[in-house]
Amino acid sequence: MSTPGSTIAAGKRAAAVVKTALFLTTILIWAFPVIWVIMTSFKARTDIFTLPPKIFFSPTVEHYVEAFLRSSDITRGIGNSLLVAGLTTLLTLLIAVPAGYAFARVTFRFRNQMSFFALISQMAPPIGLIIPYFFILSRTNMLNTYTGLIAIHMSLTVPFSIWLMITYFQDLPTSLEESAAIDGASPFTTFFRVVLPTVWGGVGVTAIFAFIESWNEFLYAVVLTGSRTKTVPVAIFSFLTTEESLWGPFTATGVSIMAPVILVALFAQRQMIKGMTLGATKG
Amino acid sequence: MAEVILRNVCKLFGKVPVVRDFSLNIADGEFLVLVGPSGCGKSTTLRLVAGLESLSSGEIYIGDRLVNDIHPRDRDIAMVFQNYALYPQMTVYDNMAFSLKMRKVPKREIDQAIRRTSELLRIDQLLDRKPGQLSGGQRQRVALGRSIIRNPHVFLFDEPLSNLDAKLRIAMRAELLELHQRLMTTAIYVTHDQLEAMTMGDRIVVMNEGVIQQVDHPETVYDHPVNLFVAGFIGSPSMNFLDCRILQNGDSLCAATDGLRLKIPAGKQARVQSYVGRDAVLGIRPEHIGLASDPARCDCLAGFTAVVRVVESAGSEKIVHARVEDHSLVARLDPHTRLKTGETVEFAVRMETVHIFDKVTGQTLM
Ligand SMILES: Nc1ncnc2c1ncn2[C@@H]1O[C@H](COP(=O)(O)OP(=O)(O)OP(=O)(O)O)[C@@H](O)[C@H]1O
Ligand SMILES: [Mg+2]
Repeated sequence: MSTPGSTIAAGKRAAAVVKTALFLTTILIWAFPVIWVIMTSFKARTDIFTLPPKIFFSPTVEHYVEAFLRSSDITRGIGNSLLVAGLTTLLTLLIAVPAGYAFARVTFRFRNQMSFFALISQMAPPIGLIIPYFFILSRTNMLNTYTGLIAIHMSLTVPFSIWLMITYFQDLPTSLEESAAIDGASPFTTFFRVVLPTVWGGVGVTAIFAFIESWNEFLYAVVLTGSRTKTVPVAIFSFLTTEESLWGPFTATGVSIMAPVILVALFAQRQMIKGMTLGATKG
Repeated sequence: MAEVILRNVCKLFGKVPVVRDFSLNIADGEFLVLVGPSGCGKSTTLRLVAGLESLSSGEIYIGDRLVNDIHPRDRDIAMVFQNYALYPQMTVYDNMAFSLKMRKVPKREIDQAIRRTSELLRIDQLLDRKPGQLSGGQRQRVALGRSIIRNPHVFLFDEPLSNLDAKLRIAMRAELLELHQRLMTTAIYVTHDQLEAMTMGDRIVVMNEGVIQQVDHPETVYDHPVNLFVAGFIGSPSMNFLDCRILQNGDSLCAATDGLRLKIPAGKQARVQSYVGRDAVLGIRPEHIGLASDPARCDCLAGFTAVVRVVESAGSEKIVHARVEDHSLVARLDPHTRLKTGETVEFAVRMETVHIFDKVTGQTLM
């Protein structure tokens, strides 16, 4: 016999099943290429193009060995990427943190216009800017230099980072700074001892976004760098030449590029949720 | 220890006046409460005293010093914010030490001051915790501790209890007053809760739309409100207001409205004599309406019949909503009164406590 209570419970269970199914499907659609790349990178050369694709195979690390040991291209590319993304992140923070604070707290002429401009500059398609950037860098002799690429990457990361920092600073109650002022702290002391420690989480998240943006960036890197300075997303294409396509090492490198990003994103997720104003204001 | 004087203080945000011609002398050691509805400019007034907002015009003195152009840190004040504004990344100890460190007080003295203050506020067990690990009441105490630790001349409180639950609020209210009696530091306390104002203030300032309505001792404000606004704002349930007309009735006066004809006590007639034939507003506090059958109410001067609509039992009292013609009235009765919804009851009003207001200006006539 079915009572109304058990019908409702059954309905709830059915809804939960549907939800879970939808969730898993979405995840799978997103994850499919990633899984494909990971699997391919561990497949023996002969297994890669079998049809139907092999789901069970004996894994091998030969492609990783080839990518990292046989050619110096990839290791150098990773080194370049680390250097470019690291410096881009550092410089971005040096600009975006104080700028975000100013936008969040200080009223000055054209504040809204300026912050809006920062946003629309983000909307311009990068492909449209590549010619002017190329000219600027070639005129200033900065093609194939780290400085040039970092400068261009910062044009991508800075506006967004400022916006991100603005939201973190706006979340802080102004009473925190007012309290510090009454307590006798100078604006600098207030910023470094009260405000900044409270938004470390936000700074961390901003840093991660800037780093990933620069780390992943391909279009500018491929045009503006040369053999000395090319980053790993560019370097990876040395495996795909007109003569042959080395899918194994290519995917192995791909996994190596993705891995830190995915790990960092998982870490950042926790940071973002935690929020850093914990307990600053009412419970 | 210091008195605080505000003289013709005005504050505009852009073109909008938020505090208007505010003049007040706050005595040394006084506990003054600013009360008024949301947005009436209480916080702004407090922040002007703190120096967190700049004056548009007027003068503020703390002690005998004109502080108009003095930075908040040099005004010798301490402020407790509604959200406490504890530094989230610092321990309770460091929160309390911060202002002393900024003033370059030697470490040993800071330590002693913190021990002393934290014992006084019973937070000495919490010194190593971060604000996020404290309950609301504990945060409140830490915020208090942070402000009293450097012995300021004036305490400024902006709705410090409004984030606490009802029970804790009442407990902290008493604790705050006790603390004030101990320290006797001048305090300005902002709240929108009229009950909090009534119970805490040596004097209360009722504000509306940036203007002081009345400044006086709580009982005086309650018993003798200067206008309709104050009469309606102070007291809960709030005063009953009835549009009425003043009529001459032989040699006595009465306030009349449909279904009600209340005789004005002889001693007070002179005050409304000039209003005969004109409209006015009658104000009756709920506790001044009783049952006609109740012997304790025999000094009543006027009676009326009303239909009971709702009866709320609050344990210590019964709040009765009744209807006379088109008017609804609220009465506060003895908790043991037995009344049923729909019942028709004889009520009586103690007329010597009734107020009459000018209908146009809202000024109190009697
Ligand atoms: N920085 C500001 N800029 C413009 N207007 C402001 C500013 N601060 C306050 N106001 C306005 O001034 C008026 C009074 O504000 P205030 O904070 O003093 O009110 P309040 O009496 O403390 O109210 P509440 O009980 O809600 O805290 C409000 O109408 C508010 O919108
Ligand atoms: Mg306020």
